[in-house]
Parts: sequence; structure tokens; C-alpha cells
Amino acid sequence: MSNTNSTGTTATGLSAEQLRSSLASIAAANGIGRWDLGAACSTDISVQVDRGEPKQMKGAQRSSITVRVWNDAGLVGVTSTSDLSEAGLERALTGAKEASAFGNADDIPAFSPLATAPLAPLDQPIHAPQGILRLLDTLKGAEQELLARHDAIATVPYNGLAERSSERIYLNSDGACRQQQLSTASLYLYARAEEAGRKPRSAGAVRLAYGAGDLDVAGCINEAAERTISHLNYAPIATGHYTCVFSPEAFLDLIGAFSGLFNARAVLDGVSLSNRESIGETLAVPFLDIHDNGLHPGNIGASAFDGEGTPTQRLALLEGGVLRNFLHSEATARAFGVNPTGHAGMGAKVSVGPDWFEVSATPGSGGGQSGLDRFKAGEPIVWIDSLSALHAGVKASQGSFSLPFDGWLIQGGEPRSIEAATVAGDIRQVLKAIVGFEGEAKITPDGLCPMVWVEGLSITGEA
Amino acid sequence: MIATAPPTTGVLDSHWSPALEDLLACGRSAGADLVEVFLERTDHLGVLAEQDTITSVTPAFGMGAGIRVFLGKRDGFVSTNDLSPAGLRRALEQALGMLGLAPGSNGRSGFEGLPGLRDFAATKADWLQRCPELKEATARLLEGTDQLQRQGKHLQARRGSYARDWQEVLVAASDGTFGRDIRLHQSVGLNVLAADGEHRAGVGRRYGTSDQPDDLRRWDATASAAEVCASAGTMLYADYVEAGQMPAVLANRFGGVIFHEACGHLLETTQVERGTTPFAERVGETIAHPAVTAIDEGLTGGAFGSLSMDDEGMEAQRTVLIQNGVLQRFISDRAGELRTGHARTGSGRRQSHTFAAASRMRNTFIDAGPHTPEELIASVDKGLYCKSMGGGSVGPTGQFNFAVEEGYLIENGQLTKPVKGATLIGEAKEVMPRISMCANDLELAAGFCGSVSGSIFVTVGQPHIKVDSITVGGR
Repeated sequence: MSNTNSTGTTATGLSAEQLRSSLASIAAANGIGRWDLGAACSTDISVQVDRGEPKQMKGAQRSSITVRVWNDAGLVGVTSTSDLSEAGLERALTGAKEASAFGNADDIPAFSPLATAPLAPLDQPIHAPQGILRLLDTLKGAEQELLARHDAIATVPYNGLAERSSERIYLNSDGACRQQQLSTASLYLYARAEEAGRKPRSAGAVRLAYGAGDLDVAGCINEAAERTISHLNYAPIATGHYTCVFSPEAFLDLIGAFSGLFNARAVLDGVSLSNRESIGETLAVPFLDIHDNGLHPGNIGASAFDGEGTPTQRLALLEGGVLRNFLHSEATARAFGVNPTGHAGMGAKVSVGPDWFEVSATPGSGGGQSGLDRFKAGEPIVWIDSLSALHAGVKASQGSFSLPFDGWLIQGGEPRSIEAATVAGDIRQVLKAIVGFEGEAKITPDGLCPMVWVEGLSITGEA
Repeated sequence: MIATAPPTTGVLDSHWSPALEDLLACGRSAGADLVEVFLERTDHLGVLAEQDTITSVTPAFGMGAGIRVFLGKRDGFVSTNDLSPAGLRRALEQALGMLGLAPGSNGRSGFEGLPGLRDFAATKADWLQRCPELKEATARLLEGTDQLQRQGKHLQARRGSYARDWQEVLVAASDGTFGRDIRLHQSVGLNVLAADGEHRAGVGRRYGTSDQPDDLRRWDATASAAEVCASAGTMLYADYVEAGQMPAVLANRFGGVIFHEACGHLLETTQVERGTTPFAERVGETIAHPAVTAIDEGLTGGAFGSLSMDDEGMEAQRTVLIQNGVLQRFISDRAGELRTGHARTGSGRRQSHTFAAASRMRNTFIDAGPHTPEELIASVDKGLYCKSMGGGSVGPTGQFNFAVEEGYLIENGQLTKPVKGATLIGEAKEVMPRISMCANDLELAAGFCGSVSGSIFVTVGQPHIKVDSITVGGR
């Protein structure tokens, strides 16, 4: 193949055939009979602006591989590298062989039995990049429009517009070969507003698409402006217990932070709130369904297969509040006597993680209390718009959380931004204290979810 | 034209000089004010022990370049894994193109070549070889998880993790910067999950150093396990903290995360550029209680945030940020100096070649004061003692938060029952004047900081401090 820069990469991306050929010959020369590989290659460009001027323009070409090697004793070793030269590949393979001496005999990953199964079709149009100067013009225009929305919006300190072209490959020595190309674009705008004698307030919005031309720029500007302006009129909230309405983004953040509930790896490691016998247990109110569905058309940039080559699929996690399935890799699936679910990473110890959640009312259940409207509630309602600092405030293995949030207190139908507050609770109690849902489910970068009402959560404020 | 091929030795040293000079001259001849090339090689080892088994060994190695071009106050940055002449040339041309420049368009270089290499790595060549080999590293980790088993009660899961990060960097810029360094960071973490009926407590500690190949050999697994097990035993049956406004005493070491989040980030010139710090125009003014003197430096031997030179080739220094409550200066990098006028402080840092350097903290701490820790606690009638802190963050309006891993109530000047689930929130401008007492027991603790230029090794630190009033989130 022409235009080859180093082993397995071409001017346009990765060459699966070249990678396979190189690895097979290096493996054979080093006495390695069983191996697999995950490779990724991407080209990114991004821009940031500051009050009409370009702030930083970035470009990146990245390539990386992770190889796993099974030694004569059947143990697995792994090595990763960004050096895709012939020498780099050889060092990676021999490094993985060396590491395999320390492989865990009690938990040996194998090739996924589904690594050659058919993949579900994904409608992912490939867009040619617009180029950095067009991105810059678009972002400058977006910033200008956002600044013009309100006198108090003086800056948009966090902003960015990016395009990415990427490619993933999975290969193994049994002949599996997966390859996926993707183009994506993202826009984020976080405005900062300040009125005389008042504290600064900030809020923003994000949009994803398969190409920069498809981004909903106007929607992003509108959402960032509306949210920022809505926080200008703020007041402290009194500490106490409130009924809370989580935005789709906030509820999905919370579910994601506690996804260890559904994670077979965490269960086997003893750090999940679930255990091997939890399938069939009631974890939530009887009208809550949660599915993991990386294949949903709203999941921009969905992966067609996981790190082990297993096809992505839609999987029921909770149905009617009852735990139906765990997320699995090949190894955890084998331990549970089920099929892998397409949620694996790649490694000597394979990680497991969710793709994209669908939160919905259980069909036929009525969906809890009907007609919920936060603006017509008879009691004060805390509307939680976004959660912060999940990395610090979530104790995933304990179930507890205490998180700062942005949101509003709604009294008599009137929302007023909350100055500074935290929401605290236990995920197990939250799932059983859901009152119902409000509005249509919304597509977000992390999943599909309506607004979710939860009663009796602890709010700490400064009033 | 860039004709000079990079060396094939695999080492980043003065052999790269001709190739780098070609790149820098090309960039300058295109009209760039300044061109900077950052080259990097890395070698990482991660090991995980669970219970009494090694469950993961993850070696990784890599290389790459980051090329940054300045024109006026604007800059373009491109990173690549391709260190071939064509790959570097392509990256440079892309960076130039972002600024509307093209090679040769200016017709003159103005670049007079690189000086001799400032080689901070000369005495560090054998560091990687002197680190423990895999067999020794795994044995030490298993010693740690064994100690957890011996010293802990009700432990449902025990984990030990080890990370060794070796990095060789070469920085060249058209202003004559030409430096090389080798960095070595090692850290060991111990984590447990204790469970007894409905009671659960997850506790972890991480210990880290820089530039000490023998660090893992010297690690006291017994003492570390004792610290983790003692905390887990206490927190397993702790009640949730009652929310409210109250005074708090924060312990030394990792308690310093309060200054890091509440104030340190707001003293980085990246925040001045964005207009997101309330302190931008306040140099020379009182922004904290007179009890507070705060420092950011890169010099303490073995500390996680120490470095011989920053990622822009400037030697580290000691920077007094706040002296007796008065703001002295900001943490600045090359772009920060250009855009805000605050002089560079050797604080241009980045996670890897894929990030442009930015002004970032190194070893950042509140200096020791005159009191004993007991005096601070005795001064509180009813409040919270934060013995161990978790992570935190600061937002674009200066609001900060951080989690308390291990807390105790203070009642009538005495520590009483343990409490969990606390989150401290506040605003930098308001909390800094409320740090009213500093004890005499300054200690540092290793940590990681994620921000605009990626995740970097830092140290936080402080003596015991008293905050007169802070919002404690809980139940």
C-alpha cells in the first residue's frame, strides 16, 4: 500500500491487513501463537475563541495499539504503545509476552465467542472535515451571538468546536477482523454572566454530530444563553429535604456514576452494590426501565463493537425495577455462564463499562404518578439541572453521594436559581423514591431520559 | 525545506539539534514570532494486586511531538506520533496554517540556531533501570495487600496499585530554549472496601514521589496498611454528617486540596486570560486572612510536583503567591506571560506531547503557622474536623467543592464521633479570609490535577488550618 508512514498506518488511517501481516510475522518470530490487538487512529482539529479572537487552535494525529499475548502456560500479558513502527510492534509483542509471566491464572481472558458475529448496522455518515478556518468562523459567530443575548454575559470562558476523523480495529490470531471509521464534531459553549454587586453565574450547552456542518449551533447558543440568564436571579436555599426533579442530563450522570450496580466485573471484584445473586432482585420502583443501548441512533459516535470485538447490543438492565442483566466482557460472561454483552475494554484484566443509557417508564406500568409538572406542584420543588464533581462526591461502592449542583427552587410556579447547594443521598434509596417522570425523553450525549422526580432528597444550602 | 533527518538513536538528546533547527528556522521564515518543539518518550508500568493476586500488569510506551507556533498573542498547536521528517514537517505546516502562515512566506528566518543543550537529564540516565523490576514490584504490592488483610477487619475487597511513569523530554524553541530532562514518578495506592451488614466504607490512600528510583523499595507497606485500615475501621460505622454552616479544622497533608481548589487554580494565568478569576486585578491587595502565606514551587526534593525544568524549558523556582494574606503574583507560563503580562514562573506544564503547555501548579501549599493542631481544635465549640480529604474541583465562577473522606465532629473543643458523607463547598473570595489559624505541622501529599493541559503530577499541602465558617453538605 502506498503512503505508508509506519507499520499499519497510511496517510488516510490504519491498514488492518498491514497490521495483521506485521503482527503475524513478528509473533511467529518470537514464538507467540495466540494474540489479539486493538488499534485506534485519529485526526483532530479544534478551536477556542476569546471575545472575537482565536484563543487556541489545535491539531493532533494520534495512533495507538494494545496487544495481548497468551503464553505457553495460557496466561495473558498486555502492552500498549503509540509507536506503530516495526520496532515498536515488536517491542509491544515481546513486552506483552514478558508481562504474561505475571498473568492471573484465576482469571484468564479468552477471545470473545462473538468476535466474528455479524455487527448491527449503524447509520454513521462520514463527513469530510471543514478545516480549521471554517471552524474558527463558526465559533466566533456563535460566541458573538451568545455575548449579544444579555448584557450580563461578558465572556464565554469555556468554548470549543472540534472535528475528528477516527478509525478502530480489532484483530486476533484466529482471524477476527473488525474495523470502524467515524467522523464526529462537537461544540460546547459555557458562558459567564455577572451583574453589578452580584456573584458571577455560569452555564452552558453541548452539541454532537457526525460533521461540523450538522451541528445544531443555534440550539447550543439558545440553550447556553437561556440557562445562563436563568441563573442570574439567584438566592440561597434553606437546608432540608425536598422533592427533586432531575434533568435528563443530571439523572443520567447519577446512573452512570453508579453503573457498578450493573457491572459484572465490579460484582466479581466485590466492589459493586450488587452481587452474583442479584439478578431478579427489585432495585427500583416498579415502573422504571433502564436499558444500555449503544446502538441508539442518538448515540453519536457509537462503537459497533467493544474492545474484544463483541458486537454492541441493546441490553435490559432494569425492567419494572427488577435487575435483569449485568454488563459483561468475555471473561465475566464466562464466569456467569452467559454471552458477552459488548461492554468490554481490552487488557490483561478486562474492564467493563456502559455505553449509552435509555431510561424510561416500564411499558404498561403507567410510569408512576401521572401529570407531573414542576411548575404546578403544590410544594417547593428543587429542579436539579446539572451535577458537579462526581469524581469526588460519589462513593460508588458505598452507594452514597454528596454533590454540588446547579438548579432552581420552584415555589408557586416560579423558578429561582439556587445560589450554591449540594444534594446528598443513596442511590438505592433514590431508585426506590422515584415518583414519576415529566415530559418527553430527551437525547443527551450520555443517553435518553425524561425528567425524573425523586422525593425526600437532602439539600444543603446557605440560607 | 526541512532536510535533516531526526537521529535514529531512540534517545532525545543533542543529536536532534540539526532537525530541530530546521523546523524552527522553517517556522520563523514563515513569519511566526516563536516556534516551540516538544519531543517526548514515555515508559509506563501499571500493576494491580487484588486480594492476594496480581490481576493486571500494564506496560505502555510511546513517543510524540507537540509543535506550537505563536503569532502575536495567538498560537497554533499540533501534536503527532510521527517523528519522521515528513511527519514533523506536516505538523509544523499545519500549525503555521492555523495562523495563516506558510513556509518561506516571510523570506527570512531571524533564527540563529540553538545553543548548547541544557541537559538536566545527564545524571538521570539510569533511573529507569534502577527502578524495581516487575517481579520485585509485584512482590511489594502483594506485601501491601497482605498487610491490609492482617490489619483490617470486615474487608470485602483489598487492592494495591503501583504506577511508574518515566518520561524523557526535549524542548527547543526559536528564542534559544534547548533543554532536556528525564522525569520519574512512582506512586503506590492501597484501597479497601469494608462491609458489615448495611455498613460500608471505601477508603484509599496514595503515596507518591518523583525522581527516586528506590521509592517502591523504601515504601513502608505496614504503616500504609495501618493508616488505611484504621480509617476504614472508623468510617465503617460512622453516621452521616449533619449539613450546615460551621467552622472546620482541616488536617495537614492532603487537606491542602482546599487551597489547591479554592485559590490555587484561580492564581493560574489561564484563569486570568479567561476572565474567570476574581483575583485578576488584585496583586498587592489582601485576598486572604493575614495568617495565610501560600507558596507554589517545583524544588522540594522527591515531591510529586517537583521538576528540574518545566515543559517549556524553564527551570523551576519557588513562587510566593500570597504573603500574610496579600496577593504577590500569579503562576505563569509562556502564553500567560504573553497574554497577561505576568512573568513566567517555570510553571508551563502538560500531561504529554498531545497538550500545549499551560500555567499549572507544582508543589502548592499553605505555609506553617505558629499554633499547634490541638490549639485549632480547642478553639472550636461545634464544628467539623476533616482528617482526610478526597478530590475536589473549582468551577468557572470560583465556586469550589471537595469531599471529606474521614471526618469527626468537634464539640466543645474536643474530637468526638466520626462522620461521613461531607462535602465542603464555597467560594474562593469568601473562604480565603476565613482561614484564621495555621498550625506548625506543614506536610505535603502527592496528587493528580486535571485541567486544560491534561492530568499532571502535583503536590498539595498545608499544616492543620482552621476555617471560621464553611458550608458542609451532608444529610
